[in-house]
Amino acid sequence: MTKAANPQNKKVRNDSKSWQFLCSVKLAVIIIIILAVACILGTVILQMRPPEDYVNRYGEGLATFFSAIQLTDIFHSYWFSFLLVLLCVNLGCCTVKRWRNTVLQIGFLVTHISIIMILVGCVIDMMLGEKGGVNVYEGKSVDYYLNRADYRKIPLDFKVYCDDFIIERHPPKYKLLTFVKNKELEKFIPAKVGNKIKIPGSNYAVTVKDHYPDAELRAEPINTSNEPNNPAIYVQMLESNHVTAEGWLLAKNRNWYNDPKRDLKIEYLWADNDAAYEKLAKAAGKIAKPTLDVVIEGKNISRSMPVEVGKSISIDGTDYVVEIKQLALDYAKRDLPVNEQSSDNPAVRVEINGPQGKETRWTFSKYPDYWDKAHQAKYKDVKLTCYVPDNFSQTSSSLRIVQNKEGKQTLSYLSNGKLVSTTDWEIDKSYDIEKTGLQMRILKYFPSHSIKKEVVERSGNHEGHNHGPGEHVGTPAIFVEIEGPRGTVADWMLANNPPRWYPDKNFALLYEQSGMAIKDYKSILRVVEGGKTVMTKIIEVNDPLKYKGYVFYQSSYDPEGERYTGLQVTRNPGLIVVYSGFILLCIGVVFIFYVKPFLRRKLKKGQKVEDYYSDDEIAAEHIE
Amino acid sequence: MDFTLNITFYVYIAAIVAYVVREVWRAKTLRWIAFGVFTGAFVLNTILVLTRWFEAHHAPMSDKYESFVFFAFTIAGVYLIMELVTIFIARVHESRLGIVGALQSLLAGWMLYSAMHTDSTIKELPPALQSNWLVVHVINYFVSYSALSISFTSAIVYLIYRAIYRGRAQEIVMSGSESQLRKDVTFDKLAYISVTIGFPFLTVGLITGSIWAKGAWGTYWGWDPKETWSLISWLVYLSYLHLPMILPKTKIKKTFAPILLSIVLLIAFPIVLFTFMGMHKLPTASDSDHIYAE
Repeated sequence: MTKAANPQNKKVRNDSKSWQFLCSVKLAVIIIIILAVACILGTVILQMRPPEDYVNRYGEGLATFFSAIQLTDIFHSYWFSFLLVLLCVNLGCCTVKRWRNTVLQIGFLVTHISIIMILVGCVIDMMLGEKGGVNVYEGKSVDYYLNRADYRKIPLDFKVYCDDFIIERHPPKYKLLTFVKNKELEKFIPAKVGNKIKIPGSNYAVTVKDHYPDAELRAEPINTSNEPNNPAIYVQMLESNHVTAEGWLLAKNRNWYNDPKRDLKIEYLWADNDAAYEKLAKAAGKIAKPTLDVVIEGKNISRSMPVEVGKSISIDGTDYVVEIKQLALDYAKRDLPVNEQSSDNPAVRVEINGPQGKETRWTFSKYPDYWDKAHQAKYKDVKLTCYVPDNFSQTSSSLRIVQNKEGKQTLSYLSNGKLVSTTDWEIDKSYDIEKTGLQMRILKYFPSHSIKKEVVERSGNHEGHNHGPGEHVGTPAIFVEIEGPRGTVADWMLANNPPRWYPDKNFALLYEQSGMAIKDYKSILRVVEGGKTVMTKIIEVNDPLKYKGYVFYQSSYDPEGERYTGLQVTRNPGLIVVYSGFILLCIGVVFIFYVKPFLRRKLKKGQKVEDYYSDDEIAAEHIE
Repeated sequence: MDFTLNITFYVYIAAIVAYVVREVWRAKTLRWIAFGVFTGAFVLNTILVLTRWFEAHHAPMSDKYESFVFFAFTIAGVYLIMELVTIFIARVHESRLGIVGALQSLLAGWMLYSAMHTDSTIKELPPALQSNWLVVHVINYFVSYSALSISFTSAIVYLIYRAIYRGRAQEIVMSGSESQLRKDVTFDKLAYISVTIGFPFLTVGLITGSIWAKGAWGTYWGWDPKETWSLISWLVYLSYLHLPMILPKTKIKKTFAPILLSIVLLIAFPIVLFTFMGMHKLPTASDSDHIYAE
């Protein structure tokens, strides 16, 4: 037996240098080094780009060279695959050749076999595995996905519904940015109460002294002097002693209030001298009416008409008939009755009858060009503009509060443009308004009205805030002290407000939200097979849904409006092999380097330890 | 936080000085002083890591700043454990480890210096990083990097020694010789041991990264630049571990073999550092899914 076996054995041993080479460590090291170099090339040279990219970047010659030896897609090239196969063969041969049934060999065997397993598993996945993606709209389902390589539709034998797609966000964060203008220096400092922070490269220092988690800017009217620079009164309207409306009227700003329900308009008028006072208090009121101007370009025709609904004029010298169809004081609320609209964006609807039929246009008093820019006009030579006075109202009665420097103050009630009564008024007294059953009271008079803005802490309830429970979103404020060449200034800063400048206009602070980082993407998926829901799962990044070998990963979403979720679909039949290889590799490596040295020491008791490792031991690591 | 960071940095600088002094004088008390200073820096660094963990509500390894601080922490930790092992268990190299200690504290100091010049604001974790694999994967990698950094510094020291004692190569390399010089210059062995300590962690880090990628992105290997470079560093150390088997069979002189291995380590560790923080320099970086260490 032995005699028969020996020659064969010898034959195998000697039979070829190629076998020797195939199981040599030398080959392994050479392959490893070539693989490493190939990997470096694969990250230095752009991969899988269109050919023109390479020509642009590397020039014609190099680009041709790269594509000839498949350097443009190294990791899927034939030679790279060949190297991996060769490595596999080398590992296999090496393992077979050095197989010894000893404890110390376990690590060697396990690691080398595990690497073969990982590579084989990868090949299985490449051959039989599937990979693709699909977008599922909220409330809809898919029974296919698109293959990644060629976008082929690949059917699934079940349906996947996306019941909902959710983006969760972290609560907002706030940052404090400092800016030194003459040095173009920007620096973030912590927006937390703390010590004085010197801004490097400047002589400014900032101290955050206090913090409100939720604050608001409260505007408080104050009186700044007794000179009537900006007279204002605070008026209350009462109906059987209940306040129905109240607010400030500013003589030099918004000086009127419309009460459409009660068909009443209140005006606050300031007279500079007695003559003007008499006129304002006693004269019948005449309110400017809205008008519409029609200009026919190229014909030098221009007509003006009062805006009265239903009125139409024919333009002489043309075939046009212009009819006013509607007047809206607030275009956004144009469907409400006119007297319930406040004069925000007045507009007139006009119908033009001409040779080519009817054309309807809206003309905006504040935005004369808007309609022409946004729409195609039939009659391009017809230009319309309308004028609606700011204080125009259709109320039949009005109340005028008139006041002058000398202290004269009267209340005039007008009905249908005629003066009905005048009364002198005093602060804090109620006055009946003729037969309307309404009372009026003037509570405050500020000759020099001004608004003081102040940051105050918001406390307690936040009814009406648009957020779910647990995601409270307030607007924080910090109290900041700035030290600089012009002394110390300190004030509250509310987040997301304009920057605060130091008096020398060279240093500014900006306290603002720094975006809301995304916490997670989630999709509620439901798998339906044969009409039955077989599985429901909320998937998120790092937690996919697995069904029948397919795995659905949360991978993207609809960037505009979050209407669909983007799923990645994979099927990896080789995964079990790869993962087993992973586990074995870990075990093997740990065994070789952490268990084996101690085991060997134990097996060879009594040897004196001289070095950490002797040369022989290092060699024995491998060849034993 | 900034204050502790600065203090820790200066204590690391002090540790460098202490180890250099210890290397020059080689007195037993000096050894413990240097060890103590380095341990002090390590304790401060631990406080940095823990306070950051507490403040950020996530494992402090997700952005550039946190990685630097954590890397300094593992560099110090792994070195100190190794020094304790050499002093109490292996009982070799007791007095000669100092120069490696100096270089390791230099490396840790460098990491903290980088951290001081990095934006330290706490950022929320992006969804892909919200996984327990983050902790396993990153700790494995940093422990491995720290051990491999020891191999790098030992390789430097070895090459310097070889350059100094150019004429006595035989005496240094021949096994069995009882010369004191040979005992002094065994830093190539130290380098080898460090690699054997770090390599299993490197492997586990690579594999956990792959499993994590599968869970988060659906592919366990996607030739992403960071993945590829971590494979490259793994392959380089793999070839380093196999080289001692084939070198005796080649024409390379026995006295030159340790020099060659040290040179491999000299190349390998910069590859590791490049994997850790150089990815944004690659032209292919724009395709990458994880530039979280940037």
